[in-house]
Amino acid sequence: MKVIRGAVDEMWSVMEQMVGSVFRHGLPLTDKIAARTALTNFVLHIHPVRVRRSWIRMSYTLCLGGLSFFLFIVLTVTGLYLMFYYVPSINHAYQDMRDLQFVVTFGGLIRNMHRWAAHAMVITVWLHMARVFLTGSYKKPREFNWGVGTVLLLITLLLSFTGYLLPWDQLSIWAVTVGTNMAKYAPIAGPYTRYLMLGGHAVGDATLLRFYVMHVVGLPLIGFLLMVVHFWRVRKDGFSGGL
Amino acid sequence: MAADFKRFIEDSREMSRRSFLAIAGWVGFTVASAIALFQSVKFIQPNATYEDPPAFKPAGDLALPSSYAVGSTTVIIDKRVVINRDSNGFYAISLICTHLGCTPRYFPDVTSDLVLAGTQISKDPDTGQQATRGNPILPGFKCPCHGSRYFRDADNFFGPAPRPMDRVHIELAKDGKLFIDRSIIVDHQYRLKV
Repeated sequence: MKVIRGAVDEMWSVMEQMVGSVFRHGLPLTDKIAARTALTNFVLHIHPVRVRRSWIRMSYTLCLGGLSFFLFIVLTVTGLYLMFYYVPSINHAYQDMRDLQFVVTFGGLIRNMHRWAAHAMVITVWLHMARVFLTGSYKKPREFNWGVGTVLLLITLLLSFTGYLLPWDQLSIWAVTVGTNMAKYAPIAGPYTRYLMLGGHAVGDATLLRFYVMHVVGLPLIGFLLMVVHFWRVRKDGFSGGL
Repeated sequence: MAADFKRFIEDSREMSRRSFLAIAGWVGFTVASAIALFQSVKFIQPNATYEDPPAFKPAGDLALPSSYAVGSTTVIIDKRVVINRDSNGFYAISLICTHLGCTPRYFPDVTSDLVLAGTQISKDPDTGQQATRGNPILPGFKCPCHGSRYFRDADNFFGPAPRPMDRVHIELAKDGKLFIDRSIIVDHQYRLKV
């Protein structure tokens, strides 16, 4: 009996140690415990330890930055799903897109989520920028973060542009023909830039592959790293609302 | 900033081993990074593209000049080329819109709707033809992207296109078939006489 009791106690203490190693501070019953939890937890550290109600007034921020980030997550997850069926080659791309739309279970839902979230993200990023401008939140000491934000806007637009080619329908091909011809009008480096973008002289297999690589790896990775900096600076420069 | 730089220069007159190595290290790092950047750009620049070659011979029925009637316009859509035959010879048009590069499409009538709407349409500088109320229908090309329009001989007359579509080299090969090179742009007077 004593042996069994000892074993149970032993197991209990191991369990306690395991749970305690994850939840170190217990329930956040006081402000002090809550603050310590937020400070030492990886997920919660993104959130400030202390937030004034006035800082996060919805009528001030309209949550546009948060919505943009939420849509970025939606796009990352749905994009990952789409990659299971999509092959970036001119012989497969259009058929794979049609299969996703009409053959794959819930494929239409995932594709449309990706499509609509992409449209919505361009809109929310623009509105976020407009809000920051109109409330003067780009001023000192937040000039650097405004700069990071403009690069993030550019990356959002480039993601939108590269994604536009991937269905490989008539609209895609000619939109990218038009877009890369615009790049050609740039002085001196224009024609060379177009050659690098297309991987040739006209929109083709090489173009589809490089747009795909930039769309699924290159641009999201740069965007993610800049977002980390962007959110960090929001924290460090302080919130502009309700001063 | 300026004071820092001045002090840096003054210090450098009597440079310590430590700061010399630090500067040498940073210079090395910068040069290596510049080379890496150069290599990255060179790497994504294809040296061979395996695209459709610019020179070709029209296949099948379109191979021989005798299969083109005088006054005919023939679109070879896969090659984005048009072959026109007039009384004074053949000429080829590169079917790429001079606005932003889409492919204009042939229509037997590209003018009558504009004439009816009262739009003044300029005279074709090469043929002297003009669409009027009395004679509203002229054949030509319309671009689906932004609505540029061209006469049958590639001269632009409506929409955002800034100049006529390019005329490209056409000749008769030794085997008597037509030969077109899209990489050679020729002037508007060029004709292949057969």
